[in-house]
Amino acid sequence: MKPAPFDYAAPAELTDAVTALAERPETARVLAGGQSLVLDMHYRRERPALLVDINNVRGLDVITVDGHTLRIGALARHRAFETPTVAPAALGRLLSRVSPYIAHPPVRARGTMAGSLAWANPVSEWCATAVALDAGIELTGPLGRRRVPAGDFFVGPFRTARQPAEILTSVLLPLLPGQVGVGFCEQRRTHASFAQVAAVAVLTLRDGVIAEARLGLAGAADRPVRAHDAERHLVGREAEPEVFAQAGELAAAGSDPLAEPHAGVEYRRHVVGVLVRRALAQAREDSNGNYGDEGRDRHEGREAR
Amino acid sequence: MSDLPPTRAPVQPPVSPPPTFTHVPQGAQSWLLGRREDARLVTGAGRYVGDLKVAGCLDAAFVRSRVAHGRLLAVDTGAAAEIDGVVGVWSAADMGDELPVVPSFTPGSADEERQRPALAVDRVRYVGEPVAVIVGTDRYVAEDGADAVRVDIDPLPVLVDPGQAAASSTWLFDGVDNVADEMEFGEPVDDEVWQRAAVVVEGAYRQPRLAPTPMEPRAILAVPELDGRVTIWVSHQAPHRLQKDLATALQLDVERIRVRVPDSGGAFGSKSGTFPEYLSVVRLALRLGRPVRWIEDRAETLSGATHGRGQNQRVRIAADEDGRMLALALEVDADVGGYPIAGFVAAETGLAAAGPYLTPKVHARVRTVVTNTTPTAPYRGAGRPEQVYAVERTVDLLARRLGMDPAELRRRNFIPPEAFPYEAPTGRRYDSGQYALALDKALELVDYGYWREEQRRRRRSDTERALGIGLCSFAERSGLEQAPMAHEWASLDVTPDGRVVARIGTCSTGQSHETVFPELVAHTLGIPAQCVSLIEGDTDEVVQGIGTFGSRSMQAGGSALHQAALELIEEAKRRAVRMGCAEPDVGYADGTVSAGERSWTLGDLATASPEPLRVEGVYDNAAAFPFGTYVAVVEVDPELGNVRVLRLVAIDDCGVAVDPEIVEDQTIGAIVQGIGQALYEEMPYDNQGTPQADGLLGYLLPTIGELPPLTLDTTVTPNPNTALGAKGAGEAGCIGTPPAIVNAVIDALGQSVAGTDIGGVQLPLTPETCWRAAAGQEVGAR
Repeated sequence: MKPAPFDYAAPAELTDAVTALAERPETARVLAGGQSLVLDMHYRRERPALLVDINNVRGLDVITVDGHTLRIGALARHRAFETPTVAPAALGRLLSRVSPYIAHPPVRARGTMAGSLAWANPVSEWCATAVALDAGIELTGPLGRRRVPAGDFFVGPFRTARQPAEILTSVLLPLLPGQVGVGFCEQRRTHASFAQVAAVAVLTLRDGVIAEARLGLAGAADRPVRAHDAERHLVGREAEPEVFAQAGELAAAGSDPLAEPHAGVEYRRHVVGVLVRRALAQAREDSNGNYGDEGRDRHEGREAR
Repeated sequence: MSDLPPTRAPVQPPVSPPPTFTHVPQGAQSWLLGRREDARLVTGAGRYVGDLKVAGCLDAAFVRSRVAHGRLLAVDTGAAAEIDGVVGVWSAADMGDELPVVPSFTPGSADEERQRPALAVDRVRYVGEPVAVIVGTDRYVAEDGADAVRVDIDPLPVLVDPGQAAASSTWLFDGVDNVADEMEFGEPVDDEVWQRAAVVVEGAYRQPRLAPTPMEPRAILAVPELDGRVTIWVSHQAPHRLQKDLATALQLDVERIRVRVPDSGGAFGSKSGTFPEYLSVVRLALRLGRPVRWIEDRAETLSGATHGRGQNQRVRIAADEDGRMLALALEVDADVGGYPIAGFVAAETGLAAAGPYLTPKVHARVRTVVTNTTPTAPYRGAGRPEQVYAVERTVDLLARRLGMDPAELRRRNFIPPEAFPYEAPTGRRYDSGQYALALDKALELVDYGYWREEQRRRRRSDTERALGIGLCSFAERSGLEQAPMAHEWASLDVTPDGRVVARIGTCSTGQSHETVFPELVAHTLGIPAQCVSLIEGDTDEVVQGIGTFGSRSMQAGGSALHQAALELIEEAKRRAVRMGCAEPDVGYADGTVSAGERSWTLGDLATASPEPLRVEGVYDNAAAFPFGTYVAVVEVDPELGNVRVLRLVAIDDCGVAVDPEIVEDQTIGAIVQGIGQALYEEMPYDNQGTPQADGLLGYLLPTIGELPPLTLDTTVTPNPNTALGAKGAGEAGCIGTPPAIVNAVIDALGQSVAGTDIGGVQLPLTPETCWRAAAGQEVGAR
């Protein structure tokens, strides 16, 4: 488990990083947290000729509120999202609920949200969160900056709209008003394993009626997806258990998961339905102001592993 | 000797060998931590094979087959040899006459018809089999070389299931079929017994292949010395056997080989073998005249090393209407993988067939079958977890059939304490046991009545998660029954300054010998523990030894040291007699021989005569039979199939625990591995014989986050055959845990999950498996 030979550059300026990458885009890879890339290099599944390490680039680790948007730099580590104060109101609650499910503490200390999006594992928690929230993905390349909506960014397993010469420099998440309810459920086999399926739910309620619903799914397809049918079903209906169950069934029916050794397609599809229902119930509780453990099944994390 | 102190007294810094402690903060020094080895191990000062600095050392890497079965047509090493830093590349053809063959574990057996060369010669038999070896100036270069080797293989039909392989006309070895061995234990049970019995139940089970996954995979460093000898640094459980095998395979004098075992990152049974890679490394070190090291990595070890378990099992039990067992028949097809290197593991399953139950008729038929998968070899438990799982699930089937409480059914069938020593129909002599005592204690500690009531309450409710209680009662074997393996060599030397150096033929791979054995010797001699040091794992220092496996170290090695210490006391007294004391006047206490007014410390006696004050001997020790009962309480989320272990109570009886803390730590470790077998671990193969996990993201181990609340306790039935009263410990946890958890899950999901007698849920109980079971779908039936 030693990587094949590669060149290494660690520029201090973003422009230098972009230039280095542009010189041989097809064979270069960007190194941020390295928690997936370096592992694949060790297995020699990835053999970049050049590694452009962006960890020396100043300012890329910043997380700032910019109007109605949370701007997350390419070097913001998973760990930064473990406390709800990382973002105002419901967005902070959602991010801090999701991040503990990412691998284990050493990985969260190194790995980055932007890196997860660039890697585009179909079971990634951040990818599902990004599509649920319609995140903006900011890419910087030789021709300047461009922004791609999350819904267009993921094009297949480990495949994105990023061009080889581009660096994913920022993730833009819309702030969520306080009364919005958020929920997150994940099915995984051990605390440190990848998700088999995960569901992000964001509900806006008015007088008990669902005004807006967003559902992001990991492990439900070959890429992170929104459960549009389920979302449409929810809007205008009361936030009640049977409605959530119907939404779960629609999400399951609409899913097209990949098989893996310990989770067949049928099982994964079934799990999509269960987790959507449970995440919606969490979101409703959250919307009611039950932010703490009281509003959730305390064991949900363990149960839904 | 059952009066050993229950907790360790603080000990002074170890006398020898001198570990490098200089940079260790004082607060972390070992005598404050408790175990002598802890300070260096927890501060990174341990010295593993990978840490040893040897000038001019080369690194080896292996090219392994990616095809499960095929004719090896060509191995092109040309491009690899061109790489800067690559010192040499060898396929079997390049080795020529020097290609070593792995010596058979049981010389003269049928295994020798299925020889295992160090590198594949004309056929590959599993994915991961070594095909070529590259030696380079570092591991990176060596892997670049491995990358550049081109292997041409013409595929052959692939066999991954032992039942299928036994029946197949595709043979892995020319001229011999795929059944490597057939063994029978006990007499076949007459048809009449089955026909007349009030109840007959039958279960079929699959034991998945498990990867032993020690933190440190295999590791070896061969250093040719100036005097013509070779020092082998290796992470190993049985250095003397390795020394002998290396001599055989490489046609060297045993005296030329020194095997040394430095700190080890665990073994779990998987480091007792003489591996093909080791033969290549030593051969090339000798040929090149340079040190060569090979450190196996995680990706390699998962399919390139050995697997544990891997059995297809069928169990039949006949009982009368009161649940008394009349007969038990066990059939096993043991999947030994591409080469039959350790058929004795499956033999243990057969020998142990009826476990702790008084069953008049017991018969086991065991076949070891070669398949196109990684060879199987001992893994913690080694044959016992397989037997216990098959029988304990079937006992639960019987309880369900009879509508009887599973605890009561077990109690009715235990071999009673007064029946020992008990000759089992399979030809095994059980030394002692109080099986009902352990069961009763387990039921009391888990509060069995409470949980049964809670289970009834939940079954009445529609909304609450299903709860199940599962039992496992077992008797296991520790130490070994076969004659040479039941011995252990020990010696004690008194130095002129009165310290005692103990040498022992066991070899710790994490079992705390460095702490426990000196304390044991010191206690027997009545001297402070800091006056005793231990040497093991070095064939120059320790003239002979069997090693550490089968939970034998304390039972056999500890007993040997204890007896040696008693002999040392006698020898010390004889020296006093020789100095003119009258024999009846000579007494010994606390390291001092006295006679009337005169007295000598052990050190005095060592200096008083030019003849060294030392004793040594080979001490015999029969196998012993630890036992216990485990109870698991689980909750199942039927929607997702997730199992949550709410309680696990483990009652173990390993006789007298010489160091209860260390026994408990080893029990917990084994329990975690048992949880792994029950819920997470499996090395799956596809139909092409490709292993489906190449890392620990695919092969799931339980972590601290998966550890349920544990309650550990003991009963104490001393080993009647040793002065220490100790039986083996360290493996029970992975024997008792899986059946307890699986029986609990079946108990939670209800009658239908056990299905018909044949079928039912199979290991590991993944969420998908449990979800299918809860939904009433067919699960794992065959």
